[in-house]
Amino acid sequence: MGSANELVLGGADDTTLTRAATVAIDDVHRIEAKYSRYRDDSVTTHINRAAGGDAVAVDAETAALLGYADACHRESEGRFDITSGVLRSVWDFRSPSPRKPTAAMLAEVLSRIGWAEVEWSATSVRLPRAGMELDFGGIGKEYAADRVATLCIEAGVKHGCVNLGGDVRVWGGRPDGAPWGIGVRHPRDEQSALAGVDLVDGAVATSGDYERYVEIDGRRYCHIIDAQSGEPVSAWQSISVIAPLAIVAGSHATIGMLYADRAPAFFARSGLRWLGVDAEGGVHSALDDDGPGLH
Amino acid sequence: MRPLWAAALALPGILPAAAVAQSVPDQGIFTLSYLDYRDWQPGADRMTVRSPSFYVLAPFAEKWTVQGSVVYDQMSGASPLWFNTLSGASGEGVHDYRTAGDVKVTRYYDRYAIGIGGAYSHERDYISRAASLDVRWWTADRNTTLAFGFGGSADYIHPTDRNLNDGNRETYDYLIGITQNLSPVDIVQSNVTYNDGRGYYSDPYKPLDTRPERRRILAWLTRYNHAFVEQNATLRLGYRFLNDSFGGTSNAFDIAWVQTLPQGWTLTPSYRYYTQGAADFYMNPPYPSGYVRGGYYSADTRLAAFGAMTFGLRADYDLTQGWSLYLSADYYRQDPSWRAFGEGSPGILTFSARWFAAGVNKTF
Repeated sequence: MGSANELVLGGADDTTLTRAATVAIDDVHRIEAKYSRYRDDSVTTHINRAAGGDAVAVDAETAALLGYADACHRESEGRFDITSGVLRSVWDFRSPSPRKPTAAMLAEVLSRIGWAEVEWSATSVRLPRAGMELDFGGIGKEYAADRVATLCIEAGVKHGCVNLGGDVRVWGGRPDGAPWGIGVRHPRDEQSALAGVDLVDGAVATSGDYERYVEIDGRRYCHIIDAQSGEPVSAWQSISVIAPLAIVAGSHATIGMLYADRAPAFFARSGLRWLGVDAEGGVHSALDDDGPGLH
Repeated sequence: MRPLWAAALALPGILPAAAVAQSVPDQGIFTLSYLDYRDWQPGADRMTVRSPSFYVLAPFAEKWTVQGSVVYDQMSGASPLWFNTLSGASGEGVHDYRTAGDVKVTRYYDRYAIGIGGAYSHERDYISRAASLDVRWWTADRNTTLAFGFGGSADYIHPTDRNLNDGNRETYDYLIGITQNLSPVDIVQSNVTYNDGRGYYSDPYKPLDTRPERRRILAWLTRYNHAFVEQNATLRLGYRFLNDSFGGTSNAFDIAWVQTLPQGWTLTPSYRYYTQGAADFYMNPPYPSGYVRGGYYSADTRLAAFGAMTFGLRADYDLTQGWSLYLSADYYRQDPSWRAFGEGSPGILTFSARWFAAGVNKTF
């Protein structure tokens, strides 16, 4: 998945642990292969190639992921959009001499974004315009983390901790009876933890502006981009969320980033615990006053 | 949160389902989904980043460690008071920070078993080594089991964080326990553990936090189950006393009644009372009052004096073919004025939480 992954299991005999780990890791590879936009034979590539043409048949898993993406789109009032990956073509985070896209470039790309226009059902999906693309990158990794937990629990593994590129799901506490300790990375110091979370069952996911970004004229533009404006978000350095499932924690963290200064209200509504670092480095959390302004 | 929840639970394989058994477990599988959780606290006056996490998760942690804990297990493996893993927006900065392994071998003989364990954990800023030895011996009728355990761990902390010094910690654990079948319907288990640690105990994430370099903890846990055959019920009692050389003493009392009802229903009301005294060096708000340069100091409210109660009700329903469902509701409230054997710490807010859980269970 292009990032550091970790799986710690306990509470079963060696044969069970080995078998569970193998099944779980195979499933992570399966999900990656199925939804990678870099692979020629992936479901994502298949759907994207047919953009502007016929509907493509999808299986139940893909349909459920589309359903989840649809719920995120609604909850974020359109800011979270799995068709927004095309913005990568104008915000090039790998370029040695990055430049801001012109208004005309942005307008062209924005015309190819719009989840609301995608025709989808429990059995098929159709991207209505040529040049549109789906990208499951925003939810696939978290879904895979939850699948790892499910498969291991089903195999009889009582205690586990899976970390797929910073999205963490734990179950059963540590084998010694203590909760799992999960550090939340400091957004400007990769070697230190900003906070700690003790968790027996549940997930912690973090969305941050440090994952991929470019600096243009001294300003940081990160890879989390508002699907409506086409502009990278800048209100938060990072947001971490605690939830029972990794996919719920991860999408809330991303949606929080996209909501900018309305993130506290969003989290107040969602009822989930969160911790955010604002653009000035100030720390906000669920127990702060949820006023509209940041301090 | 509800729309996202519903969508998440619609994902295939997000909850364990026995129908997808790829390898058949030799025991029941257990799935839990927290469908609703909320907690509240008057005002919002937190001094540290870490406290909210603690407050949120204490009920989770308390809930499930109580249910799942076997004191004996605490003997095996290292228990570094550090983070097990790191949540970040990507793998950046996460890679190569931890290599860990642990192994435990138990050899069973006719009347006794010997277990030897070792663990090693290495992170960018933390190394922990631990070893344990335990012996269990039982009588020929298996009505009595004695357990002895010894464990040691050596931790080296080398924070890359700004204002921290290197630290070492050595800990030794001792356990002695007995499990006794008193009659066909009574079983009692009692364990005493003693933990002696020297080294770095301060919280590296809290400024001014300075704790003694030696910590000794003595804990005594006793559990008693009695089955009422005619009533089709079991009474579960538990009591834990813990004395901490930091100054705090805690008492926890648990009671639960497991009532089997007709047509596959089981109802389990439960209650837990917990109370603890403050550590000697815990200072009341406002921060940093009571801080003396060179002295011990902590404003961590986990070290304060308070009492807490948990009320729970759980309903289990047996379906056919080994399937069962359960629903549970718990309410937790922590209040300094509920402390027993002394005054609660002033200036701390009460904390309440409720949570509902639902689960599916399948026994094979």
